[in-house]
Parts: sequence; structure tokens; C-alpha cells
Amino acid sequence: MDKQLKYKETDKMSDLICENYTLLQVMSRFGLSLGFGDKTVKEFCLLNQVDYRTFLAVVNFIDEGYLRMDETFKELSVASIMNYLKQAHSYFLDFNFPSIRLKLMEAIGYSEDNVTSLIMKFYDDYVDEVRKHMEYEDKIVFKYVEALLKGELPTNYSISVYAKKHTQIETKLTELKNIIIKYYPAKSNNNLLNAALFDIFSCEQDLESHSRVEDYLFVPEVLKLVKKLSNSDE
Amino acid sequence: MSNITLKIVVAENSVIIRNGITATLKRLPDLRIQPIEVHSIESLKECVRMDNINIVIVNPAFGGYFDVAKFKTETLATSKVVALVSFFVDKITLSKYDDTISIYDDQETLYGKINSLQNLPKKKNEEDDEMLSGREKEIVICVVKGMTNKEIADNLFISVHTVITHRRNIAKKLQIHSPAGLTIYAIVNNLIEISEVKKNLV
Repeated sequence: MDKQLKYKETDKMSDLICENYTLLQVMSRFGLSLGFGDKTVKEFCLLNQVDYRTFLAVVNFIDEGYLRMDETFKELSVASIMNYLKQAHSYFLDFNFPSIRLKLMEAIGYSEDNVTSLIMKFYDDYVDEVRKHMEYEDKIVFKYVEALLKGELPTNYSISVYAKKHTQIETKLTELKNIIIKYYPAKSNNNLLNAALFDIFSCEQDLESHSRVEDYLFVPEVLKLVKKLSNSDE
Repeated sequence: MSNITLKIVVAENSVIIRNGITATLKRLPDLRIQPIEVHSIESLKECVRMDNINIVIVNPAFGGYFDVAKFKTETLATSKVVALVSFFVDKITLSKYDDTISIYDDQETLYGKINSLQNLPKKKNEEDDEMLSGREKEIVICVVKGMTNKEIADNLFISVHTVITHRRNIAKKLQIHSPAGLTIYAIVNNLIEISEVKKNLV
């Protein structure tokens, strides 16, 4: 697989990040932190007990614009991707959403008795919805996959229902952006509001790439696992 | 820019053609396209089963020979299947596809084909129509006050069906669908006082 993809195991970790800074997120979700000196991807991953093939698959998938679904990315570790996804959930819920909330509150000059309170309520409702979805994944989907990894084949859930659930959440965020961009009255200095919007946009993109990793990398691997287990049952 | 995303799978073995198609699709005006590249028949089937795919663009020689009928029955896909032609393909084979795209098609042709495959409305010149009509504003106010479609209909002496049509048009114009979003819109645009909505909340 290495010859076909842009980033290889022999690349320096620092080069990778300098070339595409959004990969910083990927790195930290795999549990890799900064301070890698001149180590290569493989060396640094091994050192931190991260499956370097899976790491590279996610890195290349995201760098390419996450539009590929095929077996270029072989031999992925399901446990590794799942761990990555779990970390991403906690990043969104525990860090990113609260930090955007603070920025947004400051930017619109939050006050309890005007429209800003409704905007914050709208935002909170949106975050709640995302939280519910992610908790569902943590509780149902990942539990199911953990059972698969132990060699069990639970019959109460099927991974194929999973991917279709993603699109609905996006519409709420689109509404929030529309309200701010099109309909919110302009003030003389918009720096704060722009900064908050900027964060919302990049969060949106991050969420999109997150759900694509789920749909195009994770689910196919899980399906393979299911196939393997059901064949060995026969 | 349309607010619907079209999911288009590109099934083609040549990496140059595949990436070329994806790049071209992304540059088409008015459409928001999410391309997905696959290069094996298994991935293609998996992808179509898993997601609601609008269009599959496939090389007729994909996986040796691409059997459209078999593919459709096997995956129960509702997607349109379009042949991607880069060499001579006989008419009988092509007749099994919903349409044909040649690698020599220009952007406009490609745009036209995708539009007609999806029955998308022709380019509209109603940009100014984003403003709500008086009636629509009245309906926004009712929705924001928490009235049901039936109540709105009775209140304005129109049918429930008309209310629903108005609400659909409002959502399309503003790109706001939820009552919570409409509430913010209504207050910011002075259609209603915040004190009038507060009591409906929480």
C-alpha cells in the first residue's frame, strides 16, 4: 500500500504535520503528542504503541479529501480506528463544543433577556443532538464491535444501519450558520463573531471528516470482521 | 448553490480518469456534490448498500464487464447508473445504462446530464425571491408562537395544505427549517417581540 499513498511510514513525523496542519488533530486522537524530534512515522508510532498502518491510512484518507472507499487501505486495526473515533468524540464533546460556546457567547454579547439567549439555546440543542448521537455510537456501536473483537457475534445489532444516520445532524449546524451569516444584525466590529464563525466552520469540516472515517474506513473493516466470524461459525 | 448534497460514486480503474472526474464534479456550479471513488466491484456494492447514493458513474469494463442489471438487482440500488465511456462501447451495452458520460464531455454537458438525471429544477432566476411575502411572514409569526398547522389554518382562513406549502417555501427561502431557528429569524427581523415568544419556551 505504501507506494500508492502520499504519506509513508518512512516520512518524518514533523514533515507530515508541517505540510498539513489539520493532521495535528489526527495525531492527538491516536494518542500521539508533540515532541517527536526527527523520528519517522513508523518509529514514533511504535514507540507509542500505535498501529502505524492504521494511522497512515487515516492520515492519507483525510489528506486526500476523504473521498475514497476501497481496499487501498488494507490491514487496518479495527481496535485502533475505534480508539481514534472514541478520542474524537471526547474531543468534540469535552473540548471543542464548550470552547466554541464560550466564543459565541462573548461574540453575540450574551444576555438573558434578548435574542442572544435563543441563539445560545439553539446552539445547545444542536450540541445535545450531536452528544446523543455520539453516545449512541459509544454505547451501542462500539460495544458491538468490542464483542466482535472478542470473537463473539451479537445478533441484536447490525453495522449496516449505521452510516445512514449521519446526514440529519448536519442540517442543524447549517441553520445556525445561516442565522449568523445572513440574518444576524451586523455590529461595527465583527472580529469576535468572525472568530466564532471560523471555529464553527472548521468544526463542521472536522465533523464531516470524522463521519467519513466512520463510514468509509471503519464500517468496511467491521463488515469484514463480521464476515470472518460468520464464516467460522458455519 | 443547492442545499441538497448529491452523492456520486465514481467506479473506474484509471486513477487519472477517476481523480479527473471527481475534480470536475466538484467544480460544477450550483450543485453540491460529494464524490466517492471506488476501484473494485466489492467496494462499489458495499458503498451503494451502505449509503443513499444518487448516481453511480461506472466504466462499462469495470471489473471485466459491468453487468448493470445484475448490479441493480443485487444491491437493490435506486441510484442512477451512468456509463463512463473512454473508448468504443457498443450501443446495446450502453442502452442498459440510464445515461452516458464521455471523458470528452465538457463541463456544461456534464452539468446538464446530472441535472436531468436528478430531475433538478432548471436554473432559477428568482434570487430576489428570498424575501418573504406578507402571508409568509404571518405564518412565520404563527409558527414562532407555537401554533400547530391546524391552528394556523383556522386563524388565517386557509387550508392546512396551504399552510404546509407556505412552510415549505419559507424553509426553502430562508434555509431555516426548525421552529427554533425561525424564532431567532423572526426576532432579529422584528417580526415579533421577544416577550411574545418567551412564554412558549422552556
